[in-house]
Amino acid sequence: MTEIFRNMWRRKFRTLLTIFGIVIGIFAFTVMGSMALKLNKMIDGGKKYVTGQITVSPKGSSGYGTATGTLPIDTLNKISQIDGVDQVGALASLLVEEPDLDNASISMSEPPSIYGADNKSKFKNRNWETMTMKSGKMLDDKSADDEIVIGINIATDKKLSVGDTYKIRGRDFKVVGIIEKTMTGPDSYVFMSITPAREMLIESNPFMKSLYASGKLKIEDVNSMAGVTWKDGADSEKVSAAIKDQFGKDVTVMSPVKMGELIDKASATMNAIILGSALLALIVGLFSIVNTMVMSVSERTKEIGIKKAIGASPSSIAFEYTLEAGIIGLVGGAIGMGVGVLVANVINAKMADKGAEIFLIEPNFLIGVLIFSFVVGIIAGVIPAIRASKLNVVDAVREL
Amino acid sequence: MIKINNLSKTFKSGDHEVKAVNQISFEIPDGIFCAIVGKSGSGKSTLLSLLGALDRPSSGSIEVDGKNIEKLSDMRLIKYRRDSIGFVFQNYNLIPNLSATENVMLPMEFKGISVQERRTRAEKLLGQVGISGIKLERRPGKLSGGEQQRVSIARALANNPKFILADEPTGNLDSNTGKVIIELLKKLAKTANTTVIAVTHDDSISKSAEKTFTLKDGKLISK
Repeated sequence: MTEIFRNMWRRKFRTLLTIFGIVIGIFAFTVMGSMALKLNKMIDGGKKYVTGQITVSPKGSSGYGTATGTLPIDTLNKISQIDGVDQVGALASLLVEEPDLDNASISMSEPPSIYGADNKSKFKNRNWETMTMKSGKMLDDKSADDEIVIGINIATDKKLSVGDTYKIRGRDFKVVGIIEKTMTGPDSYVFMSITPAREMLIESNPFMKSLYASGKLKIEDVNSMAGVTWKDGADSEKVSAAIKDQFGKDVTVMSPVKMGELIDKASATMNAIILGSALLALIVGLFSIVNTMVMSVSERTKEIGIKKAIGASPSSIAFEYTLEAGIIGLVGGAIGMGVGVLVANVINAKMADKGAEIFLIEPNFLIGVLIFSFVVGIIAGVIPAIRASKLNVVDAVREL
Repeated sequence: MIKINNLSKTFKSGDHEVKAVNQISFEIPDGIFCAIVGKSGSGKSTLLSLLGALDRPSSGSIEVDGKNIEKLSDMRLIKYRRDSIGFVFQNYNLIPNLSATENVMLPMEFKGISVQERRTRAEKLLGQVGISGIKLERRPGKLSGGEQQRVSIARALANNPKFILADEPTGNLDSNTGKVIIELLKKLAKTANTTVIAVTHDDSISKSAEKTFTLKDGKLISK
């Protein structure tokens, strides 16, 4: 091993350049991978949620949290009568604050949103029945209309604790619970009873406001979407199809299986990004090391011949050069990974006060990066190493 | 005992064939210092390659202690070379990145001997050739030519070889140092009971050898 390190240091500049090439590739891989891990985690959380219910939204809405229409309570009551339907849970949702288009920025996390649910309803998402609380308690059927539970990002951003008052759209709410970090959407949610959410939704929409004021819109008809669960043993797709058949003119139905497939496609895209960056790192690193090792073998031809003359087997020569290449890969990988982790942590720290971290650093991923770097080095070193092992002793030593 | 029987090595050069070694036969007893002499192009380097199992003969045989080494497979040849032969080169051919001790340890590493045992034996061998103290940890670049050749001899002895092949061992040394090296080789031939075969065009070496084999144009002309 000592000889390998000394050999690497014989051509310091060349070795450092080679390592630098790997550093760049692995840095990109680490950063892109950590970003994709974060996104995948969010996607997984979302997938868990959407596959735990059939989601019904007013026709023409974007689907989640930004209703442009409403679902009348009558429709929801009729849906609950469909064969196979277990429970229907109405939801009123809107943004915590009106969007400020003059100061818009790109964020990897969801914008803070209000989710008002009927706390007396028996509806529960099949995959996400309860939230883990960091402090306080979740809303229940005894919760008052001015009580809220907030996600960790909101608590951090607004510096809120249980018992504090949070003013939302001009109304005071009391924080009774803070949800533990989920790395998914709920980190940016405000959960409240459906009535104040409906009221704020009406207030935020001038058309709805005038309809409500004129008595043409009932408050219980102000629902952004609804979650529908199916009975045990029922087929969620058949239930979704039945809802679509009967109410397809008025509502959009997102079945769990189809939603799961859509999310899988999005996840596949994310993973393709990771693979793409990994491939880039591989190519950069591979060629860098191959070039260095070919030159090393050429420079050390005589040395290889001497070693073979004094008893080294071809396999031991091949092993020595392959290991040297692997170590170059590992050293470059460790530095690239270290720099990547540092950059990710610095950016996350800056985004933390908004609860909008971009990167997810996972130890298993980092170990994988190191192993990957070593393996890339080994692969790159194999051919030069085999060439070294096959050198003719007499030609190599050139004195005999 | 080394027995060479009708040994030949032919090289192809374009349309021509060159017989570098042509039907050579001789015997070398154990534990002597002998010389193979001849002018440039006489075939002595080719003969050295064949004796050192670095190349295979075109015909004939090389018998070492009753074993025909030209019939050995490639893997067995590597093992044979490792365990039975020590090389001393004109240009010393030490590994530049390794210290004197590490260079001597190298053949033992290929044999799978433990680190501690290798180090102990290496230091003992270096002591026998007159290298000790601070010079043990010096790299070849920091040693004189004579010191490097001593290290090379110690390395050649590392695995208790049956014989040492020395290719122009004094070629790069001044005459005084050269004499010292030859005396060292002769002494080791006796004390270690190792046959030393020196290939050289230096008459002074052949004069001090117990046996001399003279080559000319690939043929043995005297023994």
